[in-house]
Amino acid sequence: MIQWIDKLGGLEAFGIFSLCLFVAVFTASMVLAFCLKKPFLKNMGALPLEDEPAETESPKSHPL
Amino acid sequence: MMNAEAMHQEPPPPPDRAAAVETFRYDNRIVRAFAIATVVWGVVGMSAGLTLALQLFYPAANLDWPMVTFGRLRPVHTNAVVFAFVGNGMFMGIYYSLQRLCKARLFSDKLSWFHFWGWNAIIVAAAITLPLGFTTSKEYAELEWPIKIAIGVVWVAFTINLLGTIIKRREKHIYVSIWFYIATALTVAVLHIVNGLEVPVSLWKGYSIYAGVQDALVQWWHGHNAVAFFLTTPYLGLMYYFLPKAANRPIFSYRLSIIHFWALIFIYIWAGPHHLLYTALPDWAQSLGMVFSIMLVAPSWGGMLNGLLTLRGAWDKVQRDPVLKFMVGAVTAYGMATLEGPALAIKTVNSLSHYTDWTIAHVHTAALGWNGLLTFSVLYWLFPRLYRVKLWSVKLANYHFWLALLAMAFYVVPMYIAGITEGKMWSKFSGDGFLQYPNFLQIVQQIIPFYQLRAVGGSLYILGVWLMAYNLWRTARAGQFAAEEEVQAASFRSQPAARLEPAFSHRWLESKPILLTGLALIAVLIGGLIEIIPMIVIKENVPTISSVKPYTALELLGRDIYIREGCLGCHSQMIRPFRHETERYGEYSKAGEFVYDHPFLWGSKRIGPDLQRIGGKYPDAWHYNHLDDPRSTSPGSIMPRFPWLLTQTLDTAPLPARIGALRRVGVPYPPGYEGTAPGELNQQTATIAAHLAAGSVKAPPDREILAVIAYLQRLGTDIKSAPLPTAGGAAGN
Repeated sequence: MIQWIDKLGGLEAFGIFSLCLFVAVFTASMVLAFCLKKPFLKNMGALPLEDEPAETESPKSHPL
Repeated sequence: MMNAEAMHQEPPPPPDRAAAVETFRYDNRIVRAFAIATVVWGVVGMSAGLTLALQLFYPAANLDWPMVTFGRLRPVHTNAVVFAFVGNGMFMGIYYSLQRLCKARLFSDKLSWFHFWGWNAIIVAAAITLPLGFTTSKEYAELEWPIKIAIGVVWVAFTINLLGTIIKRREKHIYVSIWFYIATALTVAVLHIVNGLEVPVSLWKGYSIYAGVQDALVQWWHGHNAVAFFLTTPYLGLMYYFLPKAANRPIFSYRLSIIHFWALIFIYIWAGPHHLLYTALPDWAQSLGMVFSIMLVAPSWGGMLNGLLTLRGAWDKVQRDPVLKFMVGAVTAYGMATLEGPALAIKTVNSLSHYTDWTIAHVHTAALGWNGLLTFSVLYWLFPRLYRVKLWSVKLANYHFWLALLAMAFYVVPMYIAGITEGKMWSKFSGDGFLQYPNFLQIVQQIIPFYQLRAVGGSLYILGVWLMAYNLWRTARAGQFAAEEEVQAASFRSQPAARLEPAFSHRWLESKPILLTGLALIAVLIGGLIEIIPMIVIKENVPTISSVKPYTALELLGRDIYIREGCLGCHSQMIRPFRHETERYGEYSKAGEFVYDHPFLWGSKRIGPDLQRIGGKYPDAWHYNHLDDPRSTSPGSIMPRFPWLLTQTLDTAPLPARIGALRRVGVPYPPGYEGTAPGELNQQTATIAAHLAAGSVKAPPDREILAVIAYLQRLGTDIKSAPLPTAGGAAGN
């Protein structure tokens, strides 16, 4: 394997290969994201807001 | 076998477990501990930065004390603000949000405290060893191998705690913040291991297993992604949690956050070579780094817009709430920095900006703005909740915000002007075809007023941090700390009705933490593997030059002193193939010249001139006098004095171990060289002592300065006598 890589030429093609790879990943994430249903998106978006503890009575903010 | 159309149905839970509500407690003690450490280390790290800023226009501010000279203190500043201030801030936010998003206490209290004390002990170790000169010289990875191992152990503890909490969660689907935390934990581990590989020589000394160009690529793959996965992804996770909390509305687009996450972690890992444009790094790697850096603007701005648009309809809150003000400032700074970063990665722009203070302006836009302001916002948001009391003074927090913005303006604007001035003056030719400013000091003198303004900016920023510390302290005193927060939630495992979910959908993926972790790991590994493996194994990347020989024993010890003193913080050793650089410094640098450099010392900033071809340019006596007092040979220089090099005896005892270690990583020292090296060293010191005597300098031959002179006089001289490459085709890039 290492010997094969050692003799590998045409390194300029790496850029094109890498771009194609990125397009594939980006497209896949787009498809997955746009397949999601709105109720699920709404529920997930609201997750951080679920557990806000009730504020206790406390002194007012200092006027400074 | 399932396909995309198949529906995945979970088995129904046993009747006795149906919708069982469980009572448990969130651990706030660990969050508070990291919060306090964040504030303390913020003050320490920024104060170190201010000391450095002062030294750049008043070199005597170091009091000629070795431990606080610029070269040694600079890594203390960067490590303290990155790994201590931002690191503790990141763990504070992660441990608070992780418990709540998973509806579970952290996996192990013992691991949490091991993580806290371990991480902060590492920082203390860094604060002691770096000023003592124990450094690998690799930016953001300066700590020597015993501390590196400790970092690895503590990071594993953090990762187990993170993944363990996720696995025992009660909330089925994993929120986007946690994906960013997972990516951080995995990628930092990979970066740390790959870049940290070195052969130990002694307890506080090791040599990188990589050399020259390969070392440079691995280091900047690490350095860039330390920014990406230590300063960016965890803070994006915090943004996705704390911004909706503070604004009391969900994130603008959860869909966009999915695309943001995958695109960002996939692209970021490729962009490291943009730190090495126009260097001896092969063109294919430079192009790859540049293209992916430019593409990075898309996911980065997707995330920024997602953050800012969360505030739609809530901008009135921003006016009243300092927490939101800090968050808006932070996200805006993130947007500015992530637009500027890709711009700086364009070769044409980089040819002007690289090595200048423009880079300093760029990193401080991100550090002071994105990391600093977001950390402050989380602290202002957390303390009242941890202590069950309102913030002691909203007004003081508002003052802090405006002070921080003013400080950033005072810091960043002068650095932009300084950077562009440096780039233009370095490359300016007169009408006669000569360099307009051949004396580097002429340019330095133009920059000093901007250095002074930068110190004003830094002072204002630290003043703001002190105001915040006081405000938080008064808040804590007014309230009562809620060490344990009792909550109730039903585990998704005990929910009665299993929902139908399409297999291989993102919704399904968000409930599979192991698979999600595996895919994230693959996404970040691909870029690294494609860049690094060919660079290391394909010989044509680094054409060798027959005249390039290993350093002599004395030069090797001198090089280690050069590393100890942090000289590469101000001096590059990489001449780019531009006419103005070859006119000023000499022949441009070739990849084959660095094959025995463990580690590489190309540097990233030119506060002083490049030293790649300094060898033979000045007499030995000039170097002696210059290191003793730079102003004696170069009036107006801002370089620190190194008088201790004249008095400290050169320690030759580690020489055999160092030669042996370098031989193990591929430097072709002949067998038995350990035995003959001391004699050769004595001969070379005698020659230099004689040269010094001829220059009216009386110096005992056993002082450290002779080793440094030997190293400096060797730099760049190998190729002067033999320009022809011997293997792998044409020399250099």
